[in-house]
Amino acid sequence: MTLSHYAVVGMVTLMVFGFSAIAAALLRVPSERVDAPRGWMPYSIGYPVYALIFLSFDMEMIFMYPWAVVFVKEGLMGFLDMLVFIAILSAGIAYAWGMGGFRWE
Amino acid sequence: MGVIPTALAVIMVVLAGAGLTHLVERGLVRSRKEQGIAMPVRAGKEIDIPQADRWMYPAGPVSALFAIAAAMVVIPFGRDLVGADLGIGVFYFIVMVDFTVLGLAMGGWGANTPHGTEVYYRAVAQLVAYVVPLGLAYIGAIMMAQSLSTIRIVEAQSGLWYIVLQPIGFLLYLATGLMQSFRAPFLEPFSSTIDHGVLSLYGGWKAWYWRIAMSGLLFVVSAMGAVLFLGGWQGPLLPGPVWMLLKTGAMMLLFTWLGAKFRPMTTDEMLQLSWKILTPVGLANVLVVGGLILLGVGVKQ
Repeated sequence: MTLSHYAVVGMVTLMVFGFSAIAAALLRVPSERVDAPRGWMPYSIGYPVYALIFLSFDMEMIFMYPWAVVFVKEGLMGFLDMLVFIAILSAGIAYAWGMGGFRWE
Repeated sequence: MGVIPTALAVIMVVLAGAGLTHLVERGLVRSRKEQGIAMPVRAGKEIDIPQADRWMYPAGPVSALFAIAAAMVVIPFGRDLVGADLGIGVFYFIVMVDFTVLGLAMGGWGANTPHGTEVYYRAVAQLVAYVVPLGLAYIGAIMMAQSLSTIRIVEAQSGLWYIVLQPIGFLLYLATGLMQSFRAPFLEPFSSTIDHGVLSLYGGWKAWYWRIAMSGLLFVVSAMGAVLFLGGWQGPLLPGPVWMLLKTGAMMLLFTWLGAKFRPMTTDEMLQLSWKILTPVGLANVLVVGGLILLGVGVKQ
């Protein structure tokens, strides 16, 4: 049953890739050459610390999904567990904010 | 239905949804100074960038359209009218939609021009800004529905829509949905200062792929908003798919109307908004929803 569900996902994927191959082979339109400089030069990214904090938060978020599904069954205990978890996450945000992480560099 | 007809139907819905979205957006956004993604693409001419990467450059639009088509699989238009009712439904949706950002990153980097590289950095910044608060908005709905399946989430709202029970979550979804769909005021990767980003770097069939993917993106984000907070296909009198389309359209209009209310934000302002306001609000929202559930609100035993 599950397998046939994911077969739809697989088939949709195949179709998107297949259509692109067909389109690339068949759709011929006049070509225009664009002369732009190469992209290989120094850039200022500006958000490296955001990106690092994001990595850790994105990881933490994964744990919240299974917790959210069983929350009603767990009741008050689950709520207190998550309270601790969210307190730690909030401390993380407060620390990052305090040390100047949320600033464009 | 078999696998192939279902997959074809999903692709058809993507095409129809993207077409509809583009019409709506052209009508509403044309008069704005920054049109962002609603700009017409240059499909009539193939664009040849000599230094572009041979594989990464065309992989961009393909990845973006794959994201939209794969995400559409779990959007339900009726009790049995869904590509596949996956057990991990909304989680799968979040992961799949993010392939749009991968597409923009690969396309921009693969084009190997200064503007392309700028698209890469800005698109990734957008991801850094929206994923965490967006996920927190989803979690509120998942907690009350006790399931990740989109069908179950809609059915759990048969009594009362979650927009009533979780207004903070809905506002959070509006703000992050705009970031996720690259619509005004968060259209830095498509701003006119970098010549509308990937829209000017691609031609021919790749431009069509970008058009369908980027218009379809607002469609799936609106549809998921209708599923999470507006009760999906449920409603009186009219058949389910009509309700779903009406609610999706309402979400789309709301997103587009909101976009005109604020001036376009820079990437810096967007990241600050996300991490200093939206993420703390999202964490608080999880606790508020948890408290409501402990009080017995919104949960069917």
